[in-house]
Amino acid sequence: MQGLRNLLWRLREARPRLVREGLHSLLLAAVALFFLNFNVYGTASPSKRYSQDLVYAWLGDEPWLYPRALAASSHGTAARPHVTVVMLDERALALRGARWPVPLGFHSQLLAELEVLRPRAIFLDFLLLDPDSREDICELLQLGARLRGEGIGLYLGVTRPEDLAPFDAAGCRAAQGGLMRAAQVFTPVSVQRQADDSDFVGRRYPFEQRAEGAAPGSGLPSAAVHIYCDATADPAACLKRLLADMPPNAGFELAWSPQGDPFNQRWSQAPCAVTVSPLQAVLNRPALPRESRCPPVATLFASALLSPAEDAALGADNQTLFNLTEGAFLMVGGNFRGSGDLFTTPLHTLLPGVYYHAAALQNLLAFDGRPKVRKEFRSPKLFFYGFDLVVLWLLASIFLWRQRWLQRVQPLTYGPFELSPAAREWLAPVVARFPTPAWIVASTVLLVLMAAYHSLQLIAVAAIILTIVLVELRVARRGEIRERIRALILYVAAMGVSLLVIALAVWVGYTQLRLPPGDWLGYLTFAAFGFFIAHAAILEFGRRVDELHLARLAGGAAP
Amino acid sequence: MRRWLPAILLALAATGLARADEPAGAASATATACAVPHEQITGPRSGERPLPLLSGDPAHGFRTACSVPWSTLSPNRQPLPVLACFRGSLLQLPARAVCPGVSGPLWVGSRWVKTNEPQGPAVRADQARSAAQASCEQLQTGAYAATRDYHYTCQPAQRDLKANPAPAEAAKAADSPPAPAPPSAH
Repeated sequence: MQGLRNLLWRLREARPRLVREGLHSLLLAAVALFFLNFNVYGTASPSKRYSQDLVYAWLGDEPWLYPRALAASSHGTAARPHVTVVMLDERALALRGARWPVPLGFHSQLLAELEVLRPRAIFLDFLLLDPDSREDICELLQLGARLRGEGIGLYLGVTRPEDLAPFDAAGCRAAQGGLMRAAQVFTPVSVQRQADDSDFVGRRYPFEQRAEGAAPGSGLPSAAVHIYCDATADPAACLKRLLADMPPNAGFELAWSPQGDPFNQRWSQAPCAVTVSPLQAVLNRPALPRESRCPPVATLFASALLSPAEDAALGADNQTLFNLTEGAFLMVGGNFRGSGDLFTTPLHTLLPGVYYHAAALQNLLAFDGRPKVRKEFRSPKLFFYGFDLVVLWLLASIFLWRQRWLQRVQPLTYGPFELSPAAREWLAPVVARFPTPAWIVASTVLLVLMAAYHSLQLIAVAAIILTIVLVELRVARRGEIRERIRALILYVAAMGVSLLVIALAVWVGYTQLRLPPGDWLGYLTFAAFGFFIAHAAILEFGRRVDELHLARLAGGAAP
Repeated sequence: MRRWLPAILLALAATGLARADEPAGAASATATACAVPHEQITGPRSGERPLPLLSGDPAHGFRTACSVPWSTLSPNRQPLPVLACFRGSLLQLPARAVCPGVSGPLWVGSRWVKTNEPQGPAVRADQARSAAQASCEQLQTGAYAATRDYHYTCQPAQRDLKANPAPAEAAKAADSPPAPAPPSAH
């Protein structure tokens, strides 16, 4: 009881100091938040996108980050809904004596072949805008109606809902004699794409295509959004939830895995499962781009579907093929020379446009319809920036606590990473033995070499650190070395606590608030280095203002 | 000569135009021939799933006809002869009225049926010899370009999704040996 009373008394005593330090750390956090989101001429975007790409490049295979479902064939089960791309190319067209652009009759033939696979839904990533004969239109609608009757959803990419009008104008009749409407057979979906302004990479997938000023939910839902929602128990509620409160240009972030789908190894020249050890990555490979030409979505070439000679290893009874496609979302797209339907991905170079929709659907399935959305598209926006401020406030408090502790235990006038005066005094005469032009030219040549050859940078940094440590050990007093080691341990301990805070922030931000990993590197950078820079300028100014304020109060003047 | 020159040029232009207007479906018999000869369809490769059938012919194009189970095509489960083959993708069935309202030849995708091919000693020897010596390439049009010893078992190499490979990559790819052909299911 006495102990508790003492603690309360000490807390009451320390309250003014705690409040002051809390306010100082808040100021520091606010400055950090400002710099994290400082976006003159779009300067903040590349760093955030780089942070995001880096996270997915190195951790994109981790199920906690991106729990995507791979092709059924790799697991031997089709229990989990998954996405499969069916790729149409010149070789497939040649097998049926067709050329691009193909008549509607070819699409009918392809749909008839896909029907055998018993998929859950089929999405045609083609704009069927070319005029065609009534016979071909009716053939396509009748076949589509049959697939619909079997419970297979059919989705068609359009630029606007009116694109289906020529189908209706054909006046096709069903087997029962009723007039067939295209919208009864095909669900029109938007196939618009979004790319980041800074580097034109397709990281973001639009929710819907709607005009400026139109109400949320009133536009044409994007392909992946519509397909996903139709697969849920309540499609209308799903669409309402995903599209509500979103600005017209809003989209969700696409998580990527650096690994290709194992199914694609049967045709891909590039390895689909690349393992890079961290040491090898640091020494030999740049952090980004970590590209793989093996796509992350299982891909069945239409030519393999149309001719067993193209891929005879799909099972004697096509079992591998059926495992891959039964109950799957089939995304049918084209990869024709010169068609230009390609998009830039963060981790898989240029891919045909259909992968954009396939990756988006994979994301919606992986995150159970709760994809990651940037702060700028969220509502209320200030709440999400407030979350960042709280995280940075905690990190700034840890930083200030460490600084204060350091001042208490280490009466040195220099920081733990700075050269000691003794080391400076030892180094200066050594360098002074050489004439000024000689050591400046030598340093310049070394720096240019390091700038030009990246592998030299790591070696040089390691050599410099080793040299400084050896010099310090040689010239510094024993007590000084002990204090410096203590300061370093304190720094590591503070970084450990900061990492715990960051891990908690990542968990809350990613899984609960559905924020993409664009700010994670920013948190880490501020915890490791950023506060050092902000600290000196901002807090000294804050302390000076505090002192002036207190002086004025002591002098009896109004603050 | 001068008087004849415009007429000759006109005739040449007309020949070129006629070739350009030639429909895609109207391919010659050699261009549409199958890489592997099929003799009989012995059964389905789709389990109990209905087989999609097409009507039409290579000259006029194909259309979807209907989907029927194997038991409809072959009630007694006997093998069906293959009357013709289209680019390894379609096999022509004997005429039967299995699709309502559809007359003429019916075709089934080679992916969905099991076939056997003529396996006489002469054919086997020819295949073995040609497979060892021939090299081939499938053009974008679907036609095959090959050396004199070309045989049907020659398979195209693996592919890439890149639309337009850089010249350096293309040169590198040309230097590398072709990928091994997958084993044939026939």
